[in-house]
Amino acid sequence: MTYLVEEKDGFLLVHLEGDVDLSTSPEVRKLMLDCLRKKPQLLIDLSQVSYIDSSGVASLVEGYQLSKSQGSEFALIGVSEAARSVLQLARLDKVFPIYDSLAQRLQHGSI
Amino acid sequence: MGIAALDGLDITELPSPPQGALAVVHACGQDDMDAERLGDLVEQVPALSVELLRLANSAYFGFSREVTSISHAVGLIGRKGLKNIALCIAMKSSLRPDQMPAFPIAEFWESALRRGVCGRVLADKANLEKDTGFTTGLLQDFGLLVMFYLSPQIIPEWDRLSALNPDSRYELEQQLFGTTHDYVGHELAVAWGLPDELVQTIAYHHKEPEQLATESSIQLHKLALCVDWMAAAFTAENHHQAIKQSRKLLSEYYGMSTDAANELMNQVSDGMLETASAFGIDVAEQTSFESLVGESHLYLVQENLDFQQMNWHLEQSLEERDRIADELNRELDLAREVQRSLLPAASSELGKIFGLNLSAKAVSGDFYDYYRLANGKIAFCIADVSGKGMNAAILMAKASTLFHCIGKSIHDPSRLLSILNHEILETSIHGMFVTMVAGVFDPETRKLKISNAGHLPPVIMRGTNFDAEYPAEAPPLGVIGDIDFPLLEITLEQHKQLYLYTDGLFEAWLGEGQRLERDGMLKLFGRCAMVKPQQRLQHLVKDIRDRGGWFDDDLTVLLLES
Repeated sequence: MTYLVEEKDGFLLVHLEGDVDLSTSPEVRKLMLDCLRKKPQLLIDLSQVSYIDSSGVASLVEGYQLSKSQGSEFALIGVSEAARSVLQLARLDKVFPIYDSLAQRLQHGSI
Repeated sequence: MGIAALDGLDITELPSPPQGALAVVHACGQDDMDAERLGDLVEQVPALSVELLRLANSAYFGFSREVTSISHAVGLIGRKGLKNIALCIAMKSSLRPDQMPAFPIAEFWESALRRGVCGRVLADKANLEKDTGFTTGLLQDFGLLVMFYLSPQIIPEWDRLSALNPDSRYELEQQLFGTTHDYVGHELAVAWGLPDELVQTIAYHHKEPEQLATESSIQLHKLALCVDWMAAAFTAENHHQAIKQSRKLLSEYYGMSTDAANELMNQVSDGMLETASAFGIDVAEQTSFESLVGESHLYLVQENLDFQQMNWHLEQSLEERDRIADELNRELDLAREVQRSLLPAASSELGKIFGLNLSAKAVSGDFYDYYRLANGKIAFCIADVSGKGMNAAILMAKASTLFHCIGKSIHDPSRLLSILNHEILETSIHGMFVTMVAGVFDPETRKLKISNAGHLPPVIMRGTNFDAEYPAEAPPLGVIGDIDFPLLEITLEQHKQLYLYTDGLFEAWLGEGQRLERDGMLKLFGRCAMVKPQQRLQHLVKDIRDRGGWFDDDLTVLLLES
């Protein structure tokens, strides 16, 4: 798995690529928590995620829970088919705010 | 003046030797020059005359009678000898201490003299004349002195450089000066018109000998290389390495035994004072080679001791590792045993419901449970904790205990999941969650109530055929609070079966890159439909394995027969 962090339109964007599994999810977890500490508007781009297991989903859940507790924003964008089917089966697609893209998120109002 | 100036060496910046001494050097190279004419030339250079007489009367040559005239000295020493002496004096006079006040020039000449002495004692072995060996050794690193003259700001690095072995010193020169003594020495030797063989040796003594054309050039090259390491044996911080390398080269080039090499090195320390006095060079007290060998042996003993200690520490560490591994394995065995005890015992078979749990690791994050309620109904669940390993196993223990206790009094699966969600959310860390299907089945009426918290869809089969599946309508336990877990009420008609499973089955491998997935799983249920329910779950696993497939995740399946 690789990642790229960029700041755009007032959001911190984390682009994840590859497999998010037991071996890589601790890194994802640390990355998201660091990002949330830096900026309270965090978007996770899952468009290039080829596989995500329950430990990877748990990392996203932790980011989401932390953002809720500190009143910041945490959303997923461009969720790949592989990630979407996992989230849908667990009904987590109803928990995480999900947008097709940053542009779609921006249409839903400013920060 | 710095490294840049050295980079494109300007010969007008170089020190110039006394012209008179240089004229003698050139005259010695002419075949028609007799001793008388040479003597006349020497007498025109007072410094050379004085040095020549002193040398001719020194122990260095060891003539039996006193030599009082220049022509006599020239006759005894010979043309080649005179050439070398003139050369040494010319070089030594070219850079005086007052031109480099901050540089320990005496130390440099001492190290150059040591190379000269090494070259002299080695000359015989190399089929070279003693004087040629001496001059080569003395002058081969003269370029370094010139480098310090041109870059005085690097003078503080002299101590560091002089304590290194030849190879490391060569690398450090390159870093500090941007050039090396062989390059600078060569430029200087060409500018001064020094004899060709000496120019070649200075230029190539850190290169491969194959680049040299004549046999005598190759011999000079080998001698210069040995001389560098032999001298380093006396000066380098790492004596041991220099002694070892000197012995290796002396054996390789001259077939010398270790004893013969030691004998040669002893001659170096013995010859230093005598030669220094002959050439008027001040040198410090000399360490004998024997005491250096003693130090080197001590070093070897210490190294051997260190090695033994390291071995001992390694053995200790390995024993410690094995002990910790044993301890961890015992702990894991205990954890596995506790986990097994959380699953229904084989003896608690209720005739209608069957479970299977295989762990990918020592402990599992999956579990199932079932028990008969006081009203005769059967309560059951299947669950999967996010992640794997010990943290997943501990959360599994908590979730299964909650289900086992609370499920006995709360018979509504929807309410039960709400309570479990609240409990797990309160204490869960790192976003860990539990997917769970909880249900209650009434064997009398075949009424089935189930509620699904983010778990994979329960599947109903009618024998070999797929009948229905019920995807989750609520997220897993431990993700968000204050949510409803919708209740599903169906009748499990006769000849129908309810299958609950974890992703270990869904994601079983059939071959490289090919997983079972949902469709393969439904076919698998169909294929095994005719097997007795008591053996069917084991048969599912056997079927996959018989087809060359395997499981790399925890696997749990629960089967409820109508």
